[in-house]
Amino acid sequence: MPEHNNSKQPLLTVTDLKQHFPIETGFIFKKQIGAVRAVDGISFSVYPGETLGIVGESGCGKSTTVRSIAQLYKPTSGSVWFNGLDLVNAPQDKLLIARKEMQMIFQDPYASLNPRMTVRQIISEPLTIYSNRNMLDPPMGKQEIEGEVEELMERVGLNRLFKNRYPHEFSGGQRQRIGIARALALNPKIILADEPVSALDVSIQSQILNLLSELQKERGLTYLFIAHDLAVIEYISTRVAVMYLGKIVELSASGELYHNPLHPYTKALLSAAPIPDPEIERKRKRIILSGDVPSPNKVHKGCYFYERCPNRMDHCATNIPPMKKISDNHEVACWLYQ
Amino acid sequence: MLNHKNGKTKQEKATNEFNQIVVGNSLSKDAWRRLRKNKMAVISVILVSIYILLAVTAPILPIYPYDEIVIDHQDLPPSLTKTAGELMRDKELAKMYAQAWRQGRLVVDEATNEMLEDWVSRSKVNKVWDYLLPEGNRQLESGTFTWNASEQRSIDSREKRIANEIQISIEKMWLKDEQGKLSDVKHLETDEIVALYAKLLGVQANLLVDQYTYEIEMQLLKKIKAESTGLTDDEYNMMLRDQLDSMSTKNYDALVKENIYEKIASTIKDMAMEQLGTEASQAETTYPLNEKVAVTEYLTASVKATKMHDRRYYLGTDSLGRDMLSRIIYGGQVSIAIGFIGTLTSVLIGVVLGSLAGYLGGKIDYFIMRVVDIMYGLPYMLLVIIAMAIFGRNILNLFFALAIISWLTISRMVRGQIMSLKNQEFVEAARSMGASTPRIIFKHLVPNSLSVIIVFSTLRIPSFIMTESFLSFLGLGVQAPYASWGSLVGESVGGMTLYPWRLFFPAIVMTVFLFAMNFLGDGLRDAFDPQSKNQL
Repeated sequence: MPEHNNSKQPLLTVTDLKQHFPIETGFIFKKQIGAVRAVDGISFSVYPGETLGIVGESGCGKSTTVRSIAQLYKPTSGSVWFNGLDLVNAPQDKLLIARKEMQMIFQDPYASLNPRMTVRQIISEPLTIYSNRNMLDPPMGKQEIEGEVEELMERVGLNRLFKNRYPHEFSGGQRQRIGIARALALNPKIILADEPVSALDVSIQSQILNLLSELQKERGLTYLFIAHDLAVIEYISTRVAVMYLGKIVELSASGELYHNPLHPYTKALLSAAPIPDPEIERKRKRIILSGDVPSPNKVHKGCYFYERCPNRMDHCATNIPPMKKISDNHEVACWLYQ
Repeated sequence: MLNHKNGKTKQEKATNEFNQIVVGNSLSKDAWRRLRKNKMAVISVILVSIYILLAVTAPILPIYPYDEIVIDHQDLPPSLTKTAGELMRDKELAKMYAQAWRQGRLVVDEATNEMLEDWVSRSKVNKVWDYLLPEGNRQLESGTFTWNASEQRSIDSREKRIANEIQISIEKMWLKDEQGKLSDVKHLETDEIVALYAKLLGVQANLLVDQYTYEIEMQLLKKIKAESTGLTDDEYNMMLRDQLDSMSTKNYDALVKENIYEKIASTIKDMAMEQLGTEASQAETTYPLNEKVAVTEYLTASVKATKMHDRRYYLGTDSLGRDMLSRIIYGGQVSIAIGFIGTLTSVLIGVVLGSLAGYLGGKIDYFIMRVVDIMYGLPYMLLVIIAMAIFGRNILNLFFALAIISWLTISRMVRGQIMSLKNQEFVEAARSMGASTPRIIFKHLVPNSLSVIIVFSTLRIPSFIMTESFLSFLGLGVQAPYASWGSLVGESVGGMTLYPWRLFFPAIVMTVFLFAMNFLGDGLRDAFDPQSKNQL
């Protein structure tokens, strides 16, 4: 597993990103009575060529993080620096230039492709959009776009003769390949992958993961990869961030995290993953967390994990733990290690 | 390299594992296949196509003009075998027998008398006529009844008219010069045409100037008065002066030419009528006639002439002697056009506003939806009636009035569709690749709600036709001499008992069309939404 070099410039830097969705009431005059704190102040950097995996249970804000970075939602506060540009406050034309370098792959291969468009139209759409805005370098004509689409289809393992077919005529794995081809069309630097394999069969998952890592090697891509499957994350990531309730609790190199988890939540999460060996599985002791995930509407004074933490201390109830660097490649937000 | 590759693609076909050729199958293609399996929908499609075809080709169909009034042919019943002359004779004879019966000259037995009296008291005069016509004819033959002298005279004169009366139209006129060369009168210069008319009348050309100047001014004044209302006569005259001053000589000449040409045509028509009238009595010509006739030694005209009373009215005539068949076809033109154009405009407005409201949300959505709510609150008919009263009663205003209030439902529906679609991942994908708002709305969202829009518009067309019919029935719709199905029904309700065909035919034609549209709409809905079980 390649160690990332700290002297390298990060490609994407997220600083204290917050995404709160207002809860409003009132008939004509809307009044805000609270907010869903989907992402509540997270910071991390992604370096060129690496894969940063984000893992966490459902509803912890993984997808929202990615969508806020891609500016599909306007973040409440914080900044997203990409290519020397703060996307949060960037004007529309600058944002368009940045978007060309930053593409997304979506979770649901059935919902992420327009059912009224042919595969050709879907894959060529980003090219058409940028070509219409005269922002392609070099400019491409209709013929060239057509050729590019065929090349992309073959690259992701689809028969190019299927370009005139509609998404509903493909299987889930094939559709996800279409989605990947679409993300590759503009030749981006970074791909934000929002649980790209969680909706697929296990056998198809490995094919897609292999395709993604091949493409990474070939094109020098950087991935921000979301999953809730720990095995998937272990396979594809160089570094892993563990999220809980809109916050990053632990950020570490992939191998380090799996062998030496520090945060109580990470430990519980890892212990929940089954081991495909019945002998070990039977002997293994699971850490079972008590209680439910608290509502993300709540404002926390102390550690977000306090209510469910097996190692909680009085100190944790009133103080929010900062991220602390334990070793070169390992950060954790927990009072146990301060 | 690239071209080579593309060239190859054209010959290659996508095949499946069994080596069968696979073609892309869009959702709309699928829906079309399902629609074709629905028998009622297919019949409806055929019916609607026939209606549209008839409405579009109306001007070239061999039917009488829809606005041609023939006073002699009032209220003739539909008949496939009898000519207008025969029907007219029967009708007049029946009336005369009825009169004779009233006067006691036509004697029937006691029981029949009572029956006839009963019909009269229940105002079923048509039954009396129907009974007395064969009865009178029988008595006339057996000699128990004879016409008196004045009746016989009117019968004779009518028979003569039926035999001889012709109808003439002048298609084209040519002026013959000394060498015998023909030149089209329509292409003559203005002064030449004026000179020709003067020659025809046998007067000096300059004597005509006063007359046509006056007539053209009157014509323009009439136009000005129609365009702007509520001014004084002085103001109208001033507007007329302005218009005349600003008019170029060429345009004015064109007006003069038009005026004189029509006069020549009507003079020639009279002269040709005179010539043919004598010929007809000599039974030399065969009708219908369509040939060039030398009307004077210097004027030749192409004359179309038919025997007036040889006409056939398959669906009868109305109270002004106009052919019901052609009025129904032309009425269908107006009704179908209102249905389609009204729906089209309302769908355009509704889709644009609805999708903007649904996609943008927030204040824009709030504003548009409150406008819709307010307009929903106002009574629909009242708004149309007010609009018609303010903007005047013509067909364009009717389109406009119907369109401005009928986009409400569709905009709400489209908004709902768009709101459910806009959080789908493919829309997020489009946004993440930098697609503009119009592109997302019109390339991604609207195509995906198209099936709902199509179904709704199809079901909307009949309701437009109904609304138009209702307005025409009230007298607010199309104005005479134009017809629509609604106005035909409206006009004929008065004579319903005596002339039922005037009501029956437009009503049945309209009902069939509305049924077909409804079945088509239902078929489309089932085709686009195969899961729905609400089939008729």
